[in-house]
Amino acid sequence: MGFGAPVTAVAPPILNPRSPLRLAKKWLLPVVPFVIVLALWWLVWYIGDFAIGVLPSPRLVLDSAIDRWDEFRGHIGASLQRLVWGFLVAAVTGVLLGLAAGLSKRIADFLGPLVTFMNAISGIAWIPLAIAWFGVGTGMVVFIIWNASFFLIFLNVMLGVRLVPFHLEYGLLSLGASRARVIRQVIVPGAMPYIMAGLRSGLGFGWRGLIAAELVGASSGLGFFIFEQQEFNRADLIIAGALIIGTIGMAMDRLILAPLERRTIERWGLVSTE
Amino acid sequence: MSASETAGSLAERPTGPPKEVTTWKTRIRWIYKLKGLTPFVAALLIWWLTWEIWQPHERILVSPAEVWSALVALVREGILSAYIEQSLKRLAFGVMVGVGVGVPLGWLIGLNRSLADASEPVLRFFNSVSGIAWLPLLILWFGFTERTITAIIVYTMLFPVLFNAMIGVRTVPDRLSQATRTLGAGRLRVVRDVYMPGSFPSVMTGVRLGIGFGWRALIAGEFVVGGGGLGFLIFNARTQGLISEIIGGMLVLGLLWLALDRLILQPIEQYTTVRWGLVRL
Amino acid sequence: MTDSNGGRAGAASAAPATITVDDLSHWFVSEQSGQTVHALDQVDLAIQPGEFVTVVGPSGCGKSTLLNILAGFIKPSYGTALVNGRPITKPGPDRGVVFQELAILPWRTVYRNISHGLEIQKVPKTERDERVAGLTQLVGLEGFENHYPHQLSGGMKQRVAVARTWASDPDIILMDEPFAAVDAMTRLTLQEELNRLTLATKKTVFFITHSVEEAVFLGDRVVAMSARPGRIKAEVPVPGDRRDRTWEVMSNNQDLQGCVEEVLGLVRDEAGEQEIAH
Repeated sequence: MGFGAPVTAVAPPILNPRSPLRLAKKWLLPVVPFVIVLALWWLVWYIGDFAIGVLPSPRLVLDSAIDRWDEFRGHIGASLQRLVWGFLVAAVTGVLLGLAAGLSKRIADFLGPLVTFMNAISGIAWIPLAIAWFGVGTGMVVFIIWNASFFLIFLNVMLGVRLVPFHLEYGLLSLGASRARVIRQVIVPGAMPYIMAGLRSGLGFGWRGLIAAELVGASSGLGFFIFEQQEFNRADLIIAGALIIGTIGMAMDRLILAPLERRTIERWGLVSTE
Repeated sequence: MSASETAGSLAERPTGPPKEVTTWKTRIRWIYKLKGLTPFVAALLIWWLTWEIWQPHERILVSPAEVWSALVALVREGILSAYIEQSLKRLAFGVMVGVGVGVPLGWLIGLNRSLADASEPVLRFFNSVSGIAWLPLLILWFGFTERTITAIIVYTMLFPVLFNAMIGVRTVPDRLSQATRTLGAGRLRVVRDVYMPGSFPSVMTGVRLGIGFGWRALIAGEFVVGGGGLGFLIFNARTQGLISEIIGGMLVLGLLWLALDRLILQPIEQYTTVRWGLVRL
Repeated sequence: MTDSNGGRAGAASAAPATITVDDLSHWFVSEQSGQTVHALDQVDLAIQPGEFVTVVGPSGCGKSTLLNILAGFIKPSYGTALVNGRPITKPGPDRGVVFQELAILPWRTVYRNISHGLEIQKVPKTERDERVAGLTQLVGLEGFENHYPHQLSGGMKQRVAVARTWASDPDIILMDEPFAAVDAMTRLTLQEELNRLTLATKKTVFFITHSVEEAVFLGDRVVAMSARPGRIKAEVPVPGDRRDRTWEVMSNNQDLQGCVEEVLGLVRDEAGEQEIAH
C-alpha cells in the first residue's frame, strides 16, 4: 500500500493463504490415495486369505524387502549402472545427431523417416536380435537402453531445432555473429524445451527397456531379480521389486530432470513443468 | 517472361500467370512422390552392401534377400498373417478397455480440482511401474496364459490415457465453461459441450502414447508368455537362430505401427483436432 | 424471460432490467503471490434500463472483478449486487457476457456457436434456424455459417461471440474489453454496429474498456474507477444522444471531445498515482 491510500471503512475478511487448513490440503491430500490403495490391498488380503505365492500382505512385502535389502541393493546398483551408460550414450548421440539433422535439411530429410521408422520398433523388439549379437548380459542391456532412448531423443532434438523461430537466428546473424555462435547461443537454448522433453521421455523408455531386457536376458539387475522370484513363487519379493522399480523411475524424473527443466526452460519462461 | 521481353510492349502484357510448360519431367511427376522412399531404399542398399562386404556369420546378420524369402515363406504357410492377427487382436482389446475405462475415468477425476490434484501422484507412480515390471506377478496369478498378456496391455494403456484425459479436462480454458454457463447451461451440459470436446486433443495424445506403450508391453508379453503373435515369432526365431525371421518380424512390426498411425490415428485426428484448428505441434 | 437465478420467471417481469450495486467490496487471495488483494472498495452503482454504461480505469483496478460479480461467476465478499431487485447467485441467460479472449467454442461451427444458447434452452430447430440466420446477417457473417473459429479473423470471432450473446435475447449485456484484440479498422466498424444494435434492441449494457475514446463514443455515462482498491472515482455523463453518434460526429463535436479530455484526465491521475505507489 503506497502513500495516499485511503483507509477503508470495512475490514477485510480473514483470507490467510498460509492457513493450516490450506497447507494440510496441499501436502496431505496427495497422500490419501496411496493410503487408500494400501488399505484396499490389506483388506483384500485379509478377506481373501490368499496363499503367500499369490497375494502377500503389505507387511510381508515390507519385511521381505528389508530382509533381502542387501541383495536388492546389488541389483539396483547393477541396473542403474547399465542405465547410466546406456542413457548417457543415447543422450550424447541423440542430441548431437539431432542437432545436425535439425540444422541441415538434407540430413533431416534423409535420417528423419528412417529414425521415425526405427522408433516404431525401438527397444523391446530388439532384444532377441541384441541377444544374438551381444549374447546375454550387460552389453546387451546397455544396447537396448540406448536403442530405447536414442531415436526418441534424436527426433525431439531435431524437431526442437527446426522449430526455433527464424527471426531469433536472423536477429543475431545481423549483429555479425558467426554460425557457431548462433548455434550455441540461439539454437540450442531455443530448442531446449524439446531437448528436455526428449531426454525426459527417453529416460522413461530407457528405464522400461532396461527392465524388459533384464527380464529375459541378464543374470543381475532388478528385472532379472523379479523374474527369478516368479519361479520361487515369491510374490512378496516381486511386488517389492516392482514398487522399487516404480519409485526409482519416478525419483529419476522428479529429482533429476524436473529440476533441470525448471532451471533452464521454466526460468526462461518457455514452458511450465507439470 | 524476362523483363526485357515485357518492357515497352503493352500489347503483350500478360493477363494471368505464366502457362505451365509441360515437359517430360512434369509428365512423370508422380515419380517425385516416391522421393520420400529414398532414405529407405538407401538404407536397404547400405544393409546389403554391409552384408556383402563383411560376410558376417548367419547368426549375426543376413542379407535383405534372405529376410525377404523368410517372410514370403511365413506368409505362404499362413503363419505370418495368423500371428499378426493375434497380436492385433490383443492390442485392439487392450485399446478398447484402456480407452473405454481410462477416458471416462480421466474425465471424472479431471473435473474435480481437489480430486485431480490428489490423484496425480498416485497415478504417476503406477504409471512408472510399467506393465512389464508386473509381468512376473501376473504370471504367478494367471500363469502363462492369454489373460496375462491382456492384463499387461490393459494396465500399460490405462495410465497414459487416463492421465491425458485428466489433463485435457484441466486445460480447457475457464472462459469457455463460463461463457457456456452464461448461456444457461447446467453442469452436465457444460461437461458435454465444453469439457469433453475440449479435452479431445489431449485424449488423442494419450491414446497415441498408450498404444505406443501398449504395443511394447504386448511384444514383451508375447516374448515371455508365448502363445502366438509377432512377439512370439521374433522370440522363437532367436532360439532357433533364425536371424532372418527375427529381422523380418521386426520390420513387420515397424510397418504395422506406421500403418496403424497413418490409417487410423491420423484420420481420427484429422476429423477432429485438425478440423477444429487445435492441432498440437 | 428468465430471472437472475437462471430459472423461469412469470410474464410480469417483461420490463427491461436494472442493475444495482450497493456498498460492494471484494477481496481475494492471489494464486500466484499468495497475497490478499483488495479488489473493490465500497462500490455503488445503479444502471437504468436501456442505459449503456462504460467503465474505464487503470489496469488492475477491479473492473473485470466487478463484471465477474455481475455475471455471477464470483460472490462478492461484502455488499450486494442486484439485478431487477434480486441478488445475483449464478450466471444465466438473462445476463449475456462477451469476453475479450476467445470464448466461442473452437469445435463448433459459427452456426452452432450462435445457436448454442438456443440449443440449451431447447428452442425448436426451425425457430433456431430462423433466429440464427437473422443474427448471422445482422453481424455480417453470411456465408460463414459452416466455418470453424480458427478460420476466422479476430474481428469475425468477436462478431460470433456477440451474435451468440444476442441470440438468447438477454436484457443485460456485460462486455469486458471485447474489441481489445481486434484491429483498429474493424474496431471502429464494430463499435458503430454495437451502438446501432443496442439501441435497436433496447439493451442495458455494462461495457469495460481501456480506450477512453471508445468509452465516450459508446456510453450514455462513463464510470471512471480508481486504482486498486477499485472505487468509483467519478461518473461522467456523455453529452448528446447516442442515436446520433458516429465516428465522424465524434471527431467534430466539441462537447464530445471535451468529455474525452475530462475522462482522460481522471484516468491519467489514477495511473500516475499507481506508479508512485509502486
